Amino acid sequence: MIPAMAKIQFCVLFVLYIVIKCDSVNVDTISSDIKIKNVDRSIDISSQLVKITSKVTLENTGKVPVKTFLLAVEGTAKNNLAFIGAKDSSNKDLRLVETTVKGYDQVKFWRVELKDTINAGSTVVITTESVYTKALQPFPTAITQQEDQLVKYNGNLYFYSPYNVASQKTNVIINTKSVESFTKVKPFSQQDGTIVYGTYANIAPFSEKELNVHYKNNSPFLTVTRLERLIEVSHWGNIAVEEIIEIEHTGAKLKGPFSRYDYQQDHHSGPASVRSYKTLLPASASDVYYRDTNGNISTSNMKVKKDSVELDLRPRYPLFGGWRSHYTLGYNVPSYEYLYHSGNEYLLKMRAVDHVFDDMQIDELVTKVILPEGSTSIKVNFPFPVTRLPDSLHYTYLDTKGRPVISFTKKNVVENHIQDFQIRYTFPRLLMFQEPLLVVGFLYTLFLCVIIYVRLDFSIHKPEHPHKD
Amino acid sequence: MVRYASPINPAVFPHLTMLLLGIGIFFTAWFFVYEVTSTKASRDLFKELLLSLVAALFSGFGILFLLLWVGIYV
Repeated sequence: MIPAMAKIQFCVLFVLYIVIKCDSVNVDTISSDIKIKNVDRSIDISSQLVKITSKVTLENTGKVPVKTFLLAVEGTAKNNLAFIGAKDSSNKDLRLVETTVKGYDQVKFWRVELKDTINAGSTVVITTESVYTKALQPFPTAITQQEDQLVKYNGNLYFYSPYNVASQKTNVIINTKSVESFTKVKPFSQQDGTIVYGTYANIAPFSEKELNVHYKNNSPFLTVTRLERLIEVSHWGNIAVEEIIEIEHTGAKLKGPFSRYDYQQDHHSGPASVRSYKTLLPASASDVYYRDTNGNISTSNMKVKKDSVELDLRPRYPLFGGWRSHYTLGYNVPSYEYLYHSGNEYLLKMRAVDHVFDDMQIDELVTKVILPEGSTSIKVNFPFPVTRLPDSLHYTYLDTKGRPVISFTKKNVVENHIQDFQIRYTFPRLLMFQEPLLVVGFLYTLFLCVIIYVRLDFSIHKPEHPHKD
Repeated sequence: MVRYASPINPAVFPHLTMLLLGIGIFFTAWFFVYEVTSTKASRDLFKELLLSLVAALFSGFGILFLLLWVGIYV
């Protein structure tokens, strides 16, 4: 009787699990009520990133109010996508949920949840932003020291959408006049620094047409191949941050020799190389260090500004295409900037990743948070989906059982990911006395040894006058 | 939740180090001088234990603040 009951119970639980599991995979349908009235799109390819900002005017042509709509990304571009976001007309961030649509397996969809419903017949303006990395291909792939870097952009001429687009216009910002070639689909115009496409009328859903631009782009093509960020919290009033950075120039490779003489003599030499770049630290950062395996890198400058600390970092050698560098950057910030408490409950609110240079792209980010020894019931909250790594222990000065380490990783990170994560933990305040008492205990044991030692007699002959002493 | 600041202002770490470590070293010196000058007969275990405890307490906290002062935030 009892095993049968258990079996039934198991079956019910299993079915329930399957039902819940199926429910969690989002499947949406494309609403035929939504039409896009107008799209004003700007594709910024003046840096190493592709930043697409679109002002979309949505119209509800149906009879029932609409609460959500879908954003789509081409199957060819989805692997390069680093960030996607949407804002409403009052510049408030909207919630995006990854979803799928039957019959469109290659396309990546997001469901945007609007704050207010779109009533039948009315319109709403939404601004979407997406950032793509590694979407600009250097062409030619190798250049000499004196040459400019030319890159090719390959995108979609039309706004990619599951809805019909009534009218659209695209600005391609390249910030240069030297364009080798670009797609010419009428109507278009080229002004200095921008190419304007459109207005195109009545484009069907999921339309794709190749948009190619081949142009000069000497902006730094720097990729942080790996960034390890260590955050060490001390309840003695300090948070130490250390970043171990591996960096590589991922633009056109250097062909032929490198002449340091030409590079120093002529300031226009090596236009595609990176001499230095600026890193912004929090305004309260102090005790900054910048070093690599050889020691301190002296070619750096620090400027304390009103709302940040600006570091002008110059690697030991200029970075040309294919060259890489490795360094460590660290600083201290006071705990009251990022740590909050009430009683024994603590809340750490810090950036998951910080600024390395403008328009940065990070291939792999690993953030490790070292909490004080004795922290328990740790709860973590991330601003964007990350892969949580197994918790570990870190041993440093005056530790006994080790400090808990929370670590997580994310691939393909850009500036839009500079957001706060939250860690809640419990730490009994009295545990702060553990560290000084460890030292006190150690010293006291030493003194006790001395007290015992003076009472021992190691002499091999008896004292001559035992009574005098 | 309120902002968490150190229970001891980091600005006074140097002063605390000097004061506590000074007192600690004084008692340590006293203890060792007492150990080497006293004889078997004149030795007082209670005095030894008390001197060493005071020396350990002050030196211990002094060393902690020395670590904090030099930037080893334990």
